[in-house]
Amino acid sequence: MLSYRLLSLCFLAGLLLLFTNVRAAEQSGGLPDGPGRDVLTSKCFQCHSEGMWKDQRQDRRGWEAALYRMVGRGALWTEDEINTMAAYLGSALGPQSAKTSTKE
Amino acid sequence: MRELVARYLSQSITRRGFLKGLTRAGLTLAAAESILESLDQVAHAQEARRAAPEGVKLFQGKGAEAFAEQLIASGVKYVFGNSASEDAHFYDALVDRPQLKYILTPHEGPGAAMAAGYVKASGEPAIVMQAGFVGLANAIGQMFNAFKEQTPLVFYSYRTDQTRRSGRDGFEEVANQEQVVQPITKYSWLARRADMIPETVRRAFKAAWTAPYGPAYASWHADFNDENVRTEIIAHEKVDPRTRVRPNPKEVERAAKLLVEAKTPVMIVGDELYKAKAVDKAVKLAELIGMSVTQVRQLFANFPETHPLWVGTIPSSRVDSLTYPKDADVVINVGNKLQHNGPAPIVARNAKFIDLRNDNWSMGNVITTEAPLFADVAYGLDDLTAAVEGAMTPALRAKAKERADDIRKFSERARTLRAQIVKNPDWNASPLLADRLTYEVAQFADKDAIVVHEAGSIGFHSFNFNPLGGRELFFYYGAHLGSGVGTAAGVKLARPNQQVICLVGDGSFIFGPTALWNMARLELPVITVVYNNHAYSGPHSRAINNSPGGRMVQTGQFMHDYLGNPDMNMASIAKGFGVEGEVVGSPAQLKDALARAKRFTQEGKPYLIDAQVRRTGVAWAEKPWTPPIRIAQERTRKV
Repeated sequence: MLSYRLLSLCFLAGLLLLFTNVRAAEQSGGLPDGPGRDVLTSKCFQCHSEGMWKDQRQDRRGWEAALYRMVGRGALWTEDEINTMAAYLGSALGPQSAKTSTKE
Repeated sequence: MRELVARYLSQSITRRGFLKGLTRAGLTLAAAESILESLDQVAHAQEARRAAPEGVKLFQGKGAEAFAEQLIASGVKYVFGNSASEDAHFYDALVDRPQLKYILTPHEGPGAAMAAGYVKASGEPAIVMQAGFVGLANAIGQMFNAFKEQTPLVFYSYRTDQTRRSGRDGFEEVANQEQVVQPITKYSWLARRADMIPETVRRAFKAAWTAPYGPAYASWHADFNDENVRTEIIAHEKVDPRTRVRPNPKEVERAAKLLVEAKTPVMIVGDELYKAKAVDKAVKLAELIGMSVTQVRQLFANFPETHPLWVGTIPSSRVDSLTYPKDADVVINVGNKLQHNGPAPIVARNAKFIDLRNDNWSMGNVITTEAPLFADVAYGLDDLTAAVEGAMTPALRAKAKERADDIRKFSERARTLRAQIVKNPDWNASPLLADRLTYEVAQFADKDAIVVHEAGSIGFHSFNFNPLGGRELFFYYGAHLGSGVGTAAGVKLARPNQQVICLVGDGSFIFGPTALWNMARLELPVITVVYNNHAYSGPHSRAINNSPGGRMVQTGQFMHDYLGNPDMNMASIAKGFGVEGEVVGSPAQLKDALARAKRFTQEGKPYLIDAQVRRTGVAWAEKPWTPPIRIAQERTRKV
């Protein structure tokens, strides 16, 4: 009985954790956790929905160039913020990472 | 017969009606015409005795001559037209009226864009002429732009079907031709009689040039041009309702109170400021209040971008998407149409909104308005500034100064952050980054250059526009593409002593390059720079945004956006129109080309630079896929 209760609690906790992660992922456009994600969501989601670029895959340098192009469109970011976001995107949406298409 | 003569002399019947009446009474046509001729002399003497008031002239001649006379009286200097056989009598009329200058444009679209550019840059009226409905159809795209951009441009085309054979599905005939353009004009009218041509024309100019501005269309059956008429020609100032009005004083007081009590006021500026030449008044009010200034999509730059109160354009069509300031509590719009492209209002409901516009129809449609100031913006700003000055106390002035200092700190920091654009790791790449191209042109441009911009999907930076004697911007608002080159030609026609640079995307360019020929023929030394990435870059990105992860993205099969294979050479196209140019691919080549362009324009010749630009953004392949449509396999004969 005890083990059954413990199992149930673990299951519920797991569900809760899963729900929390899904919710966090939803709020950040389905992006995985990692240093730089918060900066990215606070800076980019001001203008973009994730649909615009979640299928893009490129290395850190490619993302850095993309972010500087946004500076040309009016984005006001520091160099540190750009580097943080580029590093995160190069990892989360790098050439080797799986695509997360919204349509199958 | 006596009654017929009396009616003719009192202008209640036309010449044709008079002749018809006489022949019905049994006279031969020759006899009737003879009587008409002698009667015309009597009528003319009678009209000459009648003292015409100043600005009103009695005219007798062909309908087309009356048309030309009315254009002169309406203040027109340039007529932009495409060849139209049924306007033969108008062309005859032009021969003896050199003050009316006809500019032949090889396509009605760029021709209308050229006229619009001239009107925008000169503030003077112009007319665009097309051949019947077929020509009108070509001009409708630019008529749409004029409608969206509130440009006071008058269009005319005849009905090819003549009065006595109308309604028989004749050559080029479309029933109710004038109604086709009704939704995109302020006035659209078919003159019912030849002697009503001048009235129709001056009403078109009156409608177009009455605020809020917009296009107007006049039409009549082609045979009216050849008909003899007696009619009045009236100067524009005699029919102009002069709708530059002052705002309601009570609303001015209400607006002033809102502004002086605001914690975080924001001013949105718009094109009515440029048109009313009132930018300096907006600067004065902003400085008095200590107020951030911004703008959403417009044609012109309506505030000096180097001014410390300028916080940049609104990035995402909502005031609350500005990086600074946040939590605006009072927003004043000065002359901006506020185009809404999303469900959220540009000014959030929790901010108090003052709307100073000359377009009362659109006020309050989307954004709730605390203080509507329906007025000419120049008068409105004068009155509002006076009211604010009267309400300012030393404490309020100190608060305004403190706020202005904070805004200045932000704008200085923003300028530093924007300057980082040169740190892009691809900055020196070939083909060029679009940002590098923009940057180099901005470094090259004269301090008072006019930039015509139809390269819609690029980031636009580094120019630091200043309508108060610095660089000026002519953007596009209507988005019927193919306007840029024509607009630049028209702007140069109006402002021959300022450098004019046309920035245009390759997709936009090929919709309307024919105005290059006008640049060559009229010696309009415009520098045209084509951002040539061999693609519709904007539609590419927006299609992915609309269908993220869809079949296009999964397969890389984009049907709609790649313009290469074969690549287009815009410099070769320019040479075909008599304009020299070159293709460049690297920053060094670009700098050399710009120097050559400067030399050409100094000698009075236009120049084109076809700048090879990188395709950037999501899902571009190195060699993009093209639909496999080839007919080689289907050909059985070598013909």
